[in-house]
Amino acid sequence: MKLTNTLMAIAAIAVMGFSTSAMASGGGAHLKHAEIDVTNQEQLRRGLTVFTDVCMGCHSAKYITYRGLMAYPELGLTREEVDELRGDRSLMSGMISDMTPEDATSSYGKYPPDLSLIVPGRRGGADYVYSLMTGFEHDPAGKVPDGNYNAVYPGNRIAMPDPLSWLDHDEADTAELEQQAHDVSAFLAFIGDPHQNERRAIGCWVVGFLLLLTLVLWRLKVEVWKDVKH
Amino acid sequence: MIEKLMKTQLFAWVDRRTGAEAIIKSQLTEYPAPKNLNYMWNFGSLALLMLVLQIVTGIFLVMYYKPSAEATFGGFTVAFDSVERIMRDINFGWLIRYMHAVGASMFFFVVYLHMGRGMYYGSFKEPRELLWIIGVVILLIMQGAAFFGYLLPWGQMSFWGATVITNLFGAIPVLGDFVTQLLVGGFAIGDPTLNRFFSLHYLFPLLLVAIVGGHVHALHVVHSNNPDGIDLHKPEEMIPFHPYYTIKDAFGVAFFLTIYAYIVFFNPQFAGYFIEVDNYVPANNLSTPAHIAPVWYLTPWYTILRSFESKLIGVLAMGGSLAILFLLPFLCKSAVRSARFRPVYQIMVIMFFIDVIILGYCGHSAPTPTLKIVGQLSTAYYFLFFVALPFLPKFEKTKPVPEGI
Repeated sequence: MKLTNTLMAIAAIAVMGFSTSAMASGGGAHLKHAEIDVTNQEQLRRGLTVFTDVCMGCHSAKYITYRGLMAYPELGLTREEVDELRGDRSLMSGMISDMTPEDATSSYGKYPPDLSLIVPGRRGGADYVYSLMTGFEHDPAGKVPDGNYNAVYPGNRIAMPDPLSWLDHDEADTAELEQQAHDVSAFLAFIGDPHQNERRAIGCWVVGFLLLLTLVLWRLKVEVWKDVKH
Repeated sequence: MIEKLMKTQLFAWVDRRTGAEAIIKSQLTEYPAPKNLNYMWNFGSLALLMLVLQIVTGIFLVMYYKPSAEATFGGFTVAFDSVERIMRDINFGWLIRYMHAVGASMFFFVVYLHMGRGMYYGSFKEPRELLWIIGVVILLIMQGAAFFGYLLPWGQMSFWGATVITNLFGAIPVLGDFVTQLLVGGFAIGDPTLNRFFSLHYLFPLLLVAIVGGHVHALHVVHSNNPDGIDLHKPEEMIPFHPYYTIKDAFGVAFFLTIYAYIVFFNPQFAGYFIEVDNYVPANNLSTPAHIAPVWYLTPWYTILRSFESKLIGVLAMGGSLAILFLLPFLCKSAVRSARFRPVYQIMVIMFFIDVIILGYCGHSAPTPTLKIVGQLSTAYYFLFFVALPFLPKFEKTKPVPEGI
């Protein structure tokens, strides 16, 4: 029994150590907390608008098809709304930017990454996206041109020019821009794993059932073992 | 319930042709198990459960997975696209894939605890040496299967992890380049690598099934050890496996599945420990991730590899750290099995468990000078533990071992 406890304690310490150190390893700059709710339809739809109006100028989200947009209950888009978004693109097409890789490379020096998996694919996730959107500053050293200096981007020099025009924005617009950054972070967090809400909803039932099963089997074990003398 | 079933005519018909009754009696209802096994003895059945779950989920994943590194739009590949298709478009594909990805980590978790139990209570000692050795073979095949499987999504960490590990074989004198090229199927990780890793990832679990069969068979010949590590002879010390340990294992399985399901449904990436952040970025042979580390269950051995300046010595040390596990039954010479009655061994083996966790932590973190020294000291203790074992009986005063339980 003593060893069981010791080993369990070691395992618990290991797991706790793992999770805290993982949270601490967010990268260079301190990330701001993104206020997102991937079950909030209004926020997700506002985020979709930011995504199609701003991000999709250069970025794609190839794993999100227009048909998929219609199918996610979280977004609740109608066929008409999707038709308006897709223009003459096929319903089965992914959300592909009109900018060609060649144009992007000649304008910005690199091809903008696909955003389907940008939240799970970056340390800090949605917090990173939000902090990046609101992280454009003047380079303290004066070397990196305005619009290419970002406080949270690794190395600080980013090819993406300030998409929300955060740098030198009017004080009165701060709340609006922050809201846009929150909303687009929420949308990107949602499309990173579009079944996440369904997963968590089913998970409550599965874990609940297994807890009950564990309880029943534990009582059964005690019952079966009651005649074993130690 | 089993007794009722065995009285039916159908069972009699089957029994006359297979000897099923004798098997059920000798392996279940009359199979003697010590009555004092604690919950550390649950991890064997959990490991078997995970093997089955990994095979079942894996078979479903293969129905949609496409092993091809051919480029697709946006810097992705056919393989990466097919994984995302499973995650997004296939009905409950996300569930199957998360079960498989989380399952790999859970499989190693229960197997490491299973091995730790064997080390602590001396389950590897006479007459169970071969049982332990078969177990080490299982561990090596598991590690191989996990490594091959990790390449399949063709993400950044898949690609660069495979690059680092396959390059290790280049350190072997004379044959190094040949072995590396054979494994990679060319001069760099690419489409041929993906295809042969996929083939091996399907082969290794089949090997595992066969060898696990041998492991269970060997166990049923020599029977279970027990927390006191003593030989049991009296019938009142034993209880039949069924129903006592079937119900105890069932309880353990339900408890374990609760934790497993919680992770699968609520935290499948497990903060980047079960599915690494970089593996959501498609493989790019022109951009090396800032920090390459294997998944947590391989990091202790990765630290041992990195602890040496010379690549060849590092590779030899890493291979040696696994190979030395085979020798454990012959290095540990004390007549007393359980650490309960071996005060010095007890401290040494608990320190060894902590040491492996430290090694794992060092291997997972970005290298720093401090961590390097910590890793080197931990590597030293890892080997020191095994080297010191033969000398322990010379000075260790064991406590009196009980006559029975």
